[in-house]
Amino acid sequence: MGEQAERKPKAKEVMKQLTKGYYGGALRAHEENKYVAYTTAVSPVELFYAHDIIPIYPENHSVMCLTGRMMPRLSLEIEKRGYTSHLCAYARSDLGYREVGESPIGGIPDPDFLLACNAQCFTLTKWFQVLSRRYGVPVFVFDTPQYIRKDEARKNIIKYVERQLAEMIEALEELTGRKFDYDRLREVLGYSAEASKLYKEFLDLASIKPSPISIFDALIHMAITVYLRGTKEAVDYYRLLIEEIKEEKISKGIGVIPNERFRLYWENLPIWFKFRDHFDFLAAHDAVILTSLYTHAWSYDFDLSNPMRTLAENYTSVFSNVELEERAERAVALFRQYSLNGNIMFLNRSCKAVTFGVFELKDMITKETGIPALLFESDMGDPRFYSEVQIRTRLEAYMETLDRMGVG
Amino acid sequence: MDRQVLEELLSIARDPYQMLRAWKKEGERKIIGSTLADVPEDLIHAAGMFPFTILGTNKSILRASTHLPDNACSQARSDLELVLTYQRDFFDGYVVPQVDDTSQHLCDIWRRNVPWDYFETFLLPRQIDRPSARQWLLDETLRLRRSLESFTGKEISEGRLWESIGLYNQNRGHLRRLYEMKRRYPGFISNREFFDLIKSSMWWPKEDHNRLLERLISGIEETDLRDKGEEGIRVVLSGIVWEPPEIMDILDESGLKVVGDDLCVGWRYIDPDVEVNGDPLRAIVDRHFKKGPFTPIYEKGNRIFENLLNLVTQNRAEGVIYLHIKFNESQSYDLPDLIENMEREGVPIFVVETEYQTTHLAGVRTRIQAFGESLVQK
Repeated sequence: MGEQAERKPKAKEVMKQLTKGYYGGALRAHEENKYVAYTTAVSPVELFYAHDIIPIYPENHSVMCLTGRMMPRLSLEIEKRGYTSHLCAYARSDLGYREVGESPIGGIPDPDFLLACNAQCFTLTKWFQVLSRRYGVPVFVFDTPQYIRKDEARKNIIKYVERQLAEMIEALEELTGRKFDYDRLREVLGYSAEASKLYKEFLDLASIKPSPISIFDALIHMAITVYLRGTKEAVDYYRLLIEEIKEEKISKGIGVIPNERFRLYWENLPIWFKFRDHFDFLAAHDAVILTSLYTHAWSYDFDLSNPMRTLAENYTSVFSNVELEERAERAVALFRQYSLNGNIMFLNRSCKAVTFGVFELKDMITKETGIPALLFESDMGDPRFYSEVQIRTRLEAYMETLDRMGVG
Repeated sequence: MDRQVLEELLSIARDPYQMLRAWKKEGERKIIGSTLADVPEDLIHAAGMFPFTILGTNKSILRASTHLPDNACSQARSDLELVLTYQRDFFDGYVVPQVDDTSQHLCDIWRRNVPWDYFETFLLPRQIDRPSARQWLLDETLRLRRSLESFTGKEISEGRLWESIGLYNQNRGHLRRLYEMKRRYPGFISNREFFDLIKSSMWWPKEDHNRLLERLISGIEETDLRDKGEEGIRVVLSGIVWEPPEIMDILDESGLKVVGDDLCVGWRYIDPDVEVNGDPLRAIVDRHFKKGPFTPIYEKGNRIFENLLNLVTQNRAEGVIYLHIKFNESQSYDLPDLIENMEREGVPIFVVETEYQTTHLAGVRTRIQAFGESLVQK
């Protein structure tokens, strides 16, 4: 967010440089005879870094298109081809970008390989199949069955996912003609482990009162761990970021909003093209959204003693791939850890994977925390499905409810 | 053809719950409901229970909307509505498979909100080309076997498994034989009747269903085929289900004769057989990898298109009717490329998008008729 981010220019500057370097490197990849693999935000990207393949996240690029308010223009382009507006906004934006070639960063390179891990969602596997047909390149569907709470199933699931890691290594060796370097994987995984730990430490700064950061800071700074985990740069970046926040905010007792009263949980992905507005609106009501299971999706806990096992466990047990009860428990744990006193639950019409369980989650979380929840429907990226007046009215009413209840 | 036997089979498809209530009272077998697709029914049967494929309801959605948003696949919503409202007490237990985001959530919602004595999820592999998928499905099928055994308190013996496999193979064989007749003489039985026969198989104990099918087949005279086997316009049906059922009546009224399909409630249900060889559980698992394509499950290449094109060519079909269930995400991602590819091959394809609760079909009727006419002119 402009105003808050300006108070920590150093980390922001580094982030800009890293992002520029990453995308610049990716765009030169083919000239430099490097392979480009498209992958999904929750996927064992460590294998790509270990094999010197440049991972590109179409989702990340889509977020830039969504925050750059390129929707619904991009979506309309592919709706002409028969794709419907109820599909994932990331997918629509990406497929639209491929039709018209417009991008806030000058585009992303075409893929040589596609990895679709369905722990995050099934949608990605179908979206990447469309890309696979378009570019004539292989797609590797990395299948992570729901991590159900049954011992026998969990053991089998991890075995299945480990086998697929081995199959993926074979596929990468076949693609590049090079042997996979397991020592390099250990090194990459070491960076990932460290970056994930630091990223979680950064997120957890929001448990301090008043909170020095909001979820909007998390949404901005998570980009680095999404696409650079597995590199030393990501580790250095989060170290710098944490130090900066400690120095500039925590040591001085400065909160991210002036009068923090309502500390809110956010369910789902953000509404990318509106998150600045939401921050300002809530701040005016002395409220701030502090955390979400979504931003914690990259808080991995890697055990370096068994790389394959730990990759399998971490990427299978992400919040979107566990039973709803477990997901609710994880959310409730955040309520306790961050001393939250409000709950905004966004029904994201274009993210079925995260949204279809929200009615059940609302019941479970409310029962456990006693905190009323606000439920509203919109779309994470398509303003055609965002009703300004209605959502504002609902947010206002919710803040009044919390106020009446004497919360905060 | 013995119309009485046919009528008996069709009455199962019209209201299986009514028909089965009487059977349920007499027998001791528990009824295990499972949603589409690919739950190993032979295994549930071998556990001494009756596997019933849940195919939703065409009645109004009353309760499902409070659990699943309105933009969830109509099939999932109507499956859930059936067990939340209309047949809440009918089933003794459930095996709910997962193939995508919707079925994953459906599974949790079902387990939490529908009364049951037995509940198990069946985690199907969503890729099937690599060796890991086969081992995974074997592990998961073994887990289902143990889970069923622990529910019934009885071991599923190898002999019992082979018996069940034999019974199910026999049923599939009978239905394929009828399909073959329909391909050669497309008018000898209406589309609606034929696909209702397959539905009735999903909804009736196979022991009795086999007997009924045998009587039906043995009663088919050469004249039934020749005299009523007028060609009509040969088409292939593609999709998952055909809902609401009136769609099939519209095809019949429009002179369109289905000579091939890739539906989960069609060819994919009756082909192939389980190979009777080696270990029965492995044999059941092997069958899964020989089935026709199913949209959520990834296979290398462009198998859905290639399979559909083969069906058109092999069955000398004039065109394809694609049945798109509203809000089925997987189908939505397939369709634009599929249409483009079929058109490039010169195969007319017509997409019908419906919900289980679609009641106004006048527009669909007019458009299907127009599609049929365009095929004749072609």
